Amino acid sequence: MTRRFLTAEDVRRLIQSGGELVVDAETVVTPQALEAAQAAGVTINSGSGGAWQVPQPDRGPDAARAMKSLSNLPEPEGGASDGRGVIITVVGKNRSGVLAEITAHLATAGCNIHKVSQEIVEGYFHLVLTVELDGSSSFNSLKSGIECLGGEDDFVARAMHERVFRFMHRV
Amino acid sequence: MAPYTDREVLELVRMVELETLDVRTTTLGINLLDCADPDLESTCEKIYTKVVHHASKLVETADSVAADFGVPIINKRIAVTPISLVAAASGADNLVPIAKAMDAAAKEVGVDFIAGFTAYVHKGFTRADDALMNSIPEALDVTDHVCSSVSLASTKAGINMDATRRFTQVVMETANRTADRGGLGACKLVCFSNVVEDNPFVAGAHIGIGEAETVLSVGVSGPGVVRSALARLSPDDDLTAVAETIKRTSFKITRIGELVGRETAKRLNTIFGIVDVSLAPTPAIGDSVADILELIGVDVTGAPGTTAALALLTDAVKKGGLMASSSVGGLSGAFIPVSEDQGMIEAVRKGALSLAKLEAMTTVCSVGLDMVAVPGDISEDILMGIIADEMAVGMVNTKTTACRIIPVPGLGPGDTVEWGGLLGTGIVQDPGKFGCANLLRRGGRIPAPMQGFRN
Repeated sequence: MTRRFLTAEDVRRLIQSGGELVVDAETVVTPQALEAAQAAGVTINSGSGGAWQVPQPDRGPDAARAMKSLSNLPEPEGGASDGRGVIITVVGKNRSGVLAEITAHLATAGCNIHKVSQEIVEGYFHLVLTVELDGSSSFNSLKSGIECLGGEDDFVARAMHERVFRFMHRV
Repeated sequence: MAPYTDREVLELVRMVELETLDVRTTTLGINLLDCADPDLESTCEKIYTKVVHHASKLVETADSVAADFGVPIINKRIAVTPISLVAAASGADNLVPIAKAMDAAAKEVGVDFIAGFTAYVHKGFTRADDALMNSIPEALDVTDHVCSSVSLASTKAGINMDATRRFTQVVMETANRTADRGGLGACKLVCFSNVVEDNPFVAGAHIGIGEAETVLSVGVSGPGVVRSALARLSPDDDLTAVAETIKRTSFKITRIGELVGRETAKRLNTIFGIVDVSLAPTPAIGDSVADILELIGVDVTGAPGTTAALALLTDAVKKGGLMASSSVGGLSGAFIPVSEDQGMIEAVRKGALSLAKLEAMTTVCSVGLDMVAVPGDISEDILMGIIADEMAVGMVNTKTTACRIIPVPGLGPGDTVEWGGLLGTGIVQDPGKFGCANLLRRGGRIPAPMQGFRN
């Protein structure tokens, strides 16, 4: 049976009784227990051999089944299943050159543009691009790069995973 | 890849950028039953260690999910097993050390609240329940992040009026201990009728004993989004159109919560619990449930028509939310926290929203008397009567009701207290001159009502 925790009190008791400090690999050793063992010059060992290491959090006996069920939960269809789809929106006061700036940046950011649409309403443009990241590009660098463009009194650009839109607008 | 219309894309962007759409909280529930120990210090050690062990990645994971999906996750919280259960084996009379261990763990992992300094006393007290109740005032004074709750009643058990009186005394003592902070301690303390085991919102969050080792739940929020959707309707659109608009908007808001919940649970490698679909306001302009009620058609929140409007709102939120999520739970309805909603604050200031009307509203919405400020010198029987009434509303209507009520030391009706941040601004309400001294003196239990006997 796995001992769930090893506390400082456990360490002091074991050292006093001359017992070994051996715990199961899944046992969580408290910081105070580690300090107490260190102060006594004793190493806490794992039953499987070697010094005890912090285990992965034990999420419980039904976690594996629940994680499998979570991955099988139906999602709305139609999107890129590997998570490479990104929607970029750009909104701002109408001026020339914005589309060129955005697409020039995307050209260096490693993505393939699937769709571009734009509308100008009352002096403000709304630009929506649907892109797909290529194999080597990261969403985080695309997002931070695109959202740095524009600025105060110019345009605001946002990049979001396509999955968010699919969740909201498809069943 | 499926194309989206510009309208669909810009709708979500508008909700996030302009209409305060956010995920209000991702709350990690952590079972602490295995932290029980005959030695209190060892119990504290285990609690601190287990919370940090399981929640160390919660904040960074939630932040990365928020960045990926472009939807802010405002709060990251932890909900633990009711501490009176965990502390029982120690036999300790003073459980403040446990609250301090919880507080230290919360600071270590970077969450804003850790809730679950909790006891269920709706039928009676164990020694550990007694110890916990005694410890609440000091615990909420000396810690920053700990929240506490007490279950006083249920449809199955009736109302424990001895416990209600005791809880009243605890509220008063907690507020007095934090008089220098406007009674702030009592803002972190709530009582329940028909408590739920999976509420991700504070102050009442905890992980109930029917739950698993760890579970990640989500509370969404979007009063601003609903408000904006209603503002686009014509004044001639009828209430069916209003309900339909709220339902459809609630669906969309909840879909975001469902996505965030699934992904955060997956990245933390833990069970995905529930989405609480409650509309939870903040003091920010435009993020108000009261504004929604006024758009539905009430002159000022608190005027006649408010309860009917709130009934429509709560029902429509639930209908839309239930379709949107694989697992809905928690409180799921509309919150009416008076100090946390700019429209509610204004309604109290105008004299339109009274304590009596708030009680009526709790019969149709999901929370109760929440963040209600009362005079610091309120008598024990009047305060107990307010709490008992709220417990009765929940007991008879087979719904959850709660009471988070703050007697603000040194202030009287109409005075203002600034608690700041999400807790907002309290305007002290007038509870009237008459009380229930004999009811208080009698004590005992109000028996379970007929509604509890469904077998």
